[in-house]
Parts: sequence; structure tokens; C-alpha cells
Amino acid sequence: MPEQIGTTTMKAIAIASVALGLMGPLATPSRAQQATEVQLTYAKGQFQPAEISAPADKPIAIRVKNLDAKAMEFESKSLRVEKVVAAGSEGVVNVRPLKPGRYEFYDDFNEKARGALVVQ
Amino acid sequence: MRALALAAFGALVIFQGQARADDASSWREIETKYIFGFTTGSGIGLEGEKEFTVESIGRFGKRDGHYAASETKYEFEFTPSQFIQIEFGALGSTHNISGVTDLDDRRQVALAGAFAEFRYLAIERTSNNPLAVTLAVEPTIRRIDETGGERIRNFELETVINADLELLRNRLYAGFNLLYEPEVTKTPAGETERESKFGGSAALSVRVAPNVVLGGEVWYLRHYDAISLTNFTGDAVMLGPTLYVQFTPKMFMTAAWNAQVWGREIGNPLSLNLAEFQRNRAKLKFAYEF
Repeated sequence: MPEQIGTTTMKAIAIASVALGLMGPLATPSRAQQATEVQLTYAKGQFQPAEISAPADKPIAIRVKNLDAKAMEFESKSLRVEKVVAAGSEGVVNVRPLKPGRYEFYDDFNEKARGALVVQ
Repeated sequence: MRALALAAFGALVIFQGQARADDASSWREIETKYIFGFTTGSGIGLEGEKEFTVESIGRFGKRDGHYAASETKYEFEFTPSQFIQIEFGALGSTHNISGVTDLDDRRQVALAGAFAEFRYLAIERTSNNPLAVTLAVEPTIRRIDETGGERIRNFELETVINADLELLRNRLYAGFNLLYEPEVTKTPAGETERESKFGGSAALSVRVAPNVVLGGEVWYLRHYDAISLTNFTGDAVMLGPTLYVQFTPKMFMTAAWNAQVWGREIGNPLSLNLAEFQRNRAKLKFAYEF
């Protein structure tokens, strides 16, 4: 009966909503903690320095300064972030608190530009 | 099927030669969500990323007659945070059926319904932990029956655990899915039917070039005439090759073919389960990120 389907549908949506609601607090980086800011420069098609470091279990803000005459896209699969930074400008990439490890990043517009964030 | 397997094996051999010349450690990391065929990896994309995809799944072959059906997802997906991915879209379907027992002959193309999917990354991969796990729920509403193509009202809630392991850095991956899919259908005769599927998959994929991943997967699926996993009606094992190709940094395709290699229907002595499943299924997906 349509009523039965409607009831089942509503129950399922309610269960999914509750489940997602429970995920909510886990879903975003903690903004209450002060982020550790890390400076990164992009010049002549390369990241400088090519390796940056940050402490574990604290939010990180990577400030990317693009000195080149064309836009670049800071991207990382393991950090799960991407940000286009226009020529001659800077952008901030906010990253969740991370576990210790090595997290690679690159310029999505330039195959050769690679770098890594080392979290300790 | 044999030709596809041979082609996949041939491509594997060719690409392996090329891949040996490359150093996989210098390759960029890969998004694992779509590299396992019908098995879904743990990837949820990048925060702020949006993607439009078209994904078609074709199902071919019943016990008798001619059976070909497809369902296509026209999908928008986005990643609002570093832990959540949301997808939604419309479903289109085609049915070409003639002479199949228990199904009406039909040739039709239809707008079949709509769906949404919510994915939460529960365990993330790091350089020290090769395992990643994502939990996904996908509510779907259909006005066209997936199997027979008749007008119905159907609600399905697919719940899946997507897990994958990076076995060799940037090179070899294993994927695992655990699926529970309850659904409720109101038939044209006014009856309400409840059923569910339960099962799992294992997949192995090798990155043979920076932009090409080849692999294979096996699925074991059980069907019940109840949403509570009672009234077992049959099960099946599906097996087949998978392919993933990244055309550009923002565009990729994935393809997979599964053939039913074993199956049983309760109360039917014939081999294979062709009442609830099909002889073959194929998947083809194109995606564009922006």
C-alpha cells in the first residue's frame, strides 16, 4: 500500500539522517584549535621549499604564495584538498588535524611541480 | 567474456612492460573510488571538488528468450568537507525483453527515478596506514522496475562499506565491499513486495601506467524475499575484469564486466541464479571534475 511505502521511506530517510547527523561532528576539522600556519612559495614552476613540516593532531593552514605569472592549483589526494591560486597572489589551504606521516601535494596544472608535507 | 579476459591480460602484459620502465614512487597518488569496477573504493574526492558523471550499468541474459536492460545515472557529486561526499541525480532506464519467462515483452526507454548518496570517510589512509574505509548510504526511488521495466513504486536503501588497501605504493590495490540493500516495491497489481540483497566483493587492481589501472573482481550476492534477511531465495557469484583510464587530470572513465559463474535458485535444480540476477552485467562510467 502507498502508505506502507511512505512509512518505510520516511523511516529509512530518518535513519540515514540520524546516521549522518552523528557523523557531523566528525566531518569537519576542529576550528576551535588554533591552526598551525605553514608558508609555501610557488615560483618558476616549483614549490619552495619542496618539503614542509607541521605538528600532528592540530589543524594546519598552508599559505601558498604564487609568484609566477600564471595560475597554479595546489592539490593533494592524501590531504583531500585543492585550491586554485591566481598569478601573483596567495591562498590559504585549511587542512584537518593529521596523523603522523608524509602527505604529497602538487600543482595540478604542472606535472613537474611536486612537494610534501611531513607531519610529526 | 573469454575475449575480454584475453584483451585485459594482453593489455596487462603490454602495460607492465611500460610500467617497469617507470618508477611508481614518482607517480601522483590516485583516487581509489573508481578503480575496482562494480566494487567501490574508499575515495571521497577533494574538499571543494565537484564532478559530473554518467554511469550506465547493463544487465544481459536470463534463462530463456532475449533480455537486455540498462540503468544510467546522471549524477552530480561534490565534497563539502575532508570527510563527507554527497551525490545525487536522475536515473534513466532501457529495457529490451522478449520471450523471457515471467517477464512481459517490452522495448522502452524511460526516466526511471532519482537517487542520492552520502559517503563518510571513517578510516583514512596515511603513509603509515594502507587501509581506508568509507561508509555509504544511497536512497533511491524508482517508478520503473529495474528488472522487468513495468511501472511500479520502489524505494531502495543501499548501504555499503567500501574498504581498500594500498598493497604496493602507487601500484597495487585491493578493494572490498560489504553490501546490504533492502527495498520495498508496490506492484501494478497493488501488492507490496519486500526484498533485500546482501553480499560482498573483493577486487584487485594494478596500476600499469600512471593513468591506467587494470584489475579483476568477484562478487557474492544473496537475495531474500524480506528486508530482514529471512526467506532466502538464491545466491550468485559474479566475476570479471575492470579498467580505469584517467584521460586528463580532470576526466576519467571506468569500465567493468561481470559474468555469473555460479548461482542457485531455491527450488530450481538448474545451475545459475537467473531469477534475481543476470548472466552478465557491464558498467561504463565517464566523469568530469571541475
